[in-house]
Amino acid sequence: MDDRIIEFVRGMRAAGVRVSMAESADAMRAVEVLGVGNRELFRQSLRATLVKESDDVAVFEELFPLYFSAGGPPMQNAMEDLSEDEQEMLKAALQALSGRLQSLMDWLTSGEGPTKEELEQLAERAGAQWANNSQDARWVTRRMLQQMGMAHLEDQLRELMERLAEMGMSWEAIEKLMGIVEANREALTEQVAKSVGRQIAEQRANRPDELYGSDLMHKPFEALTQEEANLLRKEVQRLVTQLRSRAALRRKRGKEGRFDSKGTIRANQRYGGVPMELKFKRKKLKPSLVLICDISRSMLSVAEFMLRLTYELQDQVAKTRSFGFYSDMEEISLTMAGNQAADAVDGVMDVFYGRAPMHYATDLGHSLATFYDNWLDSVNNRTTVVILGDGRNNYNDPRLDLIKDLQQRARRLIWFNPEAPRQWGTGDSDMVAYAQLCDQVYMVRNLAQLSAAVDKLMAGA
Amino acid sequence: MMFKDRADVSRRLGKQQYIASDEIATVIYLAQALCKPILAEGPAGVGKTELAKAWAAALNAPLVRLQCYEGLDESKALYEWEYAKQMLYTQLLRDTLHNVLGDVGSLAEAAGRLAQEEDVFFSENFLLPRPLLKAMTSDEPVVLLIDEIDRADVEFEAFLLEVLSDFQVTVPELGTIHAKHQPMVLLTSNNTRELSEALKRRCLYLHIGYPTLEAEMDIVRLKVPDLRPELARQAVATVQQLRNMDLRKVPSISETLDWARALVALNARSIDEETMNNTLTVLLKYEADVQKARRNMGSGGRRGPANRP
Repeated sequence: MDDRIIEFVRGMRAAGVRVSMAESADAMRAVEVLGVGNRELFRQSLRATLVKESDDVAVFEELFPLYFSAGGPPMQNAMEDLSEDEQEMLKAALQALSGRLQSLMDWLTSGEGPTKEELEQLAERAGAQWANNSQDARWVTRRMLQQMGMAHLEDQLRELMERLAEMGMSWEAIEKLMGIVEANREALTEQVAKSVGRQIAEQRANRPDELYGSDLMHKPFEALTQEEANLLRKEVQRLVTQLRSRAALRRKRGKEGRFDSKGTIRANQRYGGVPMELKFKRKKLKPSLVLICDISRSMLSVAEFMLRLTYELQDQVAKTRSFGFYSDMEEISLTMAGNQAADAVDGVMDVFYGRAPMHYATDLGHSLATFYDNWLDSVNNRTTVVILGDGRNNYNDPRLDLIKDLQQRARRLIWFNPEAPRQWGTGDSDMVAYAQLCDQVYMVRNLAQLSAAVDKLMAGA
Repeated sequence: MMFKDRADVSRRLGKQQYIASDEIATVIYLAQALCKPILAEGPAGVGKTELAKAWAAALNAPLVRLQCYEGLDESKALYEWEYAKQMLYTQLLRDTLHNVLGDVGSLAEAAGRLAQEEDVFFSENFLLPRPLLKAMTSDEPVVLLIDEIDRADVEFEAFLLEVLSDFQVTVPELGTIHAKHQPMVLLTSNNTRELSEALKRRCLYLHIGYPTLEAEMDIVRLKVPDLRPELARQAVATVQQLRNMDLRKVPSISETLDWARALVALNARSIDEETMNNTLTVLLKYEADVQKARRNMGSGGRRGPANRP
């Protein structure tokens, strides 16, 4: 059992859940205390010790049945309930059927499912070795069932029924037989699904970690595969913790601030007025942020990570308002507020991509004008305005006047651009003109650069 | 009075009017068996704090509570020297001090002699124990509730790690103080920020979510026995329906109970449009939510002239 738990832990790790040695040791101890007799209890004790985040509960619930359950519901033997004559009839009828679905029919009537080896062979032919996640698992399962001949099963069964009826088997017996076969078919389907799920989870656990955190951090956003992006999303969490504690330390160690005489006197009352502790007045360092993100297709991945980062850092910032633009500006602060980070980002994508049909083109100039009309009150001399975009404007009016005015109103205007400086000004890019009006421009091609830029943003605010 | 097994946990928590799900009972039992703290997460108002109270009462142990907030530091959580008392004592003991120091010739000698007596002023007499120290030095096992840990700073979290893993603290002037009995610890978090991996690793994890209809019925029946059963069912169903809506703040169990009490107080016969309109603010705390709920619940948001204030 211990081995199985260790395998399970490896499977969880491979699925992206962080499980430490200490935690798997706890799981063992918990199982020792509560035993393995009661499956529900066993599940709860593993869950309490291994899963420490509500997001990971789903992974646990998906993997648990794959590792700790029999291969699926048992199948029944259809022969048992039949009289000897009927058994003979069934055997004859089965033989008379064309041999293509032979093994499938055997499994369904005898109640003996495919052996482990047979299942593995089928899985290999269906391409299970290239599958990675539960979506792939469904696909592999479907292909395996197809290979077994499930698609033609209906015809075969009808033929079988007719033959049996011809041979003189009673209708009740046939119906009962078909009932059992049907139940067996469902059981078999489930068995196959479970075996595929388990195989994939194990494969994933045994695969060496080709890519991990630090390499991915330096990979450009547009080159990320779906899978890598998923991994990276998890990385954001840890990054945020780092950024946050760095911000907290910075504030704590900061030497600036004026001497606070009132505070010092108050604090030193208890020493009889002898000034042992000095107090300093510190300015509230929390910045207020206005974030303007380009959500066009080319910018999508960068924007997503940017939103994630800033969303997670909300508590470090006194006030954030975020806006997204494509052809026009929309406020997305409310969509972002009060949701889990993932939902929030999805929500934002919904706002922009949920509406069909999509034939907009990026137009920052026009979007800025909308911003000016509606939300200019969000910018004051304490606000840091961050524009995240590639500065490609589809040859529309860049409205440099608005950018200039924005820079004067705001405390700082910072531009995050995923393009390298040599690409600025090429084609429809107005970046060269924009860059001159900004206080700072950062290049953010990958997560490492993005997080460094966000860190600077928090520091200098 | 430790729990004997998992069923015992459910039974004794039940006696304290706390309905524990299987999962809660298992985790509590595990916490006791493995001597590990529990980290309970979940939305506000689902009974995390209540669980600690019930746990303490069920064990007949005192509950020590540490409420976290931004800026909480060691001196407020662990111990503090009672400076005022120290000052007062020095004043009162001036004569004695004079006697001790009366015949010294030089300043250095006086300081040396005073240093010998220093222990008097940094003894447990002048130590003001705060919740954490109180929990550790208690003569009987206690339940320590560290409430809303997510509100405390990251540094405090790091400090807590040491306390939670070794159950000992070091007071420089006194030395290391070991816990006499290992306290049972429950940390709660509303998930407003991510807690550190290290802290999570040391705890058993318990997620308390919103209860099912049946479970919530049981809770209402237990806590507000005056509410008629059919009305209770209707009320709980309404609340469950509200939870499925996209609201800024969905009502939790504590709000359900408030509402149930309100219905009893108002002597409501059934939950009709008028009752709803009058009492919805007990459940929902934002005007926008109230409006939305009225629209969606089919009362249409139109108040009849009779209801107009």
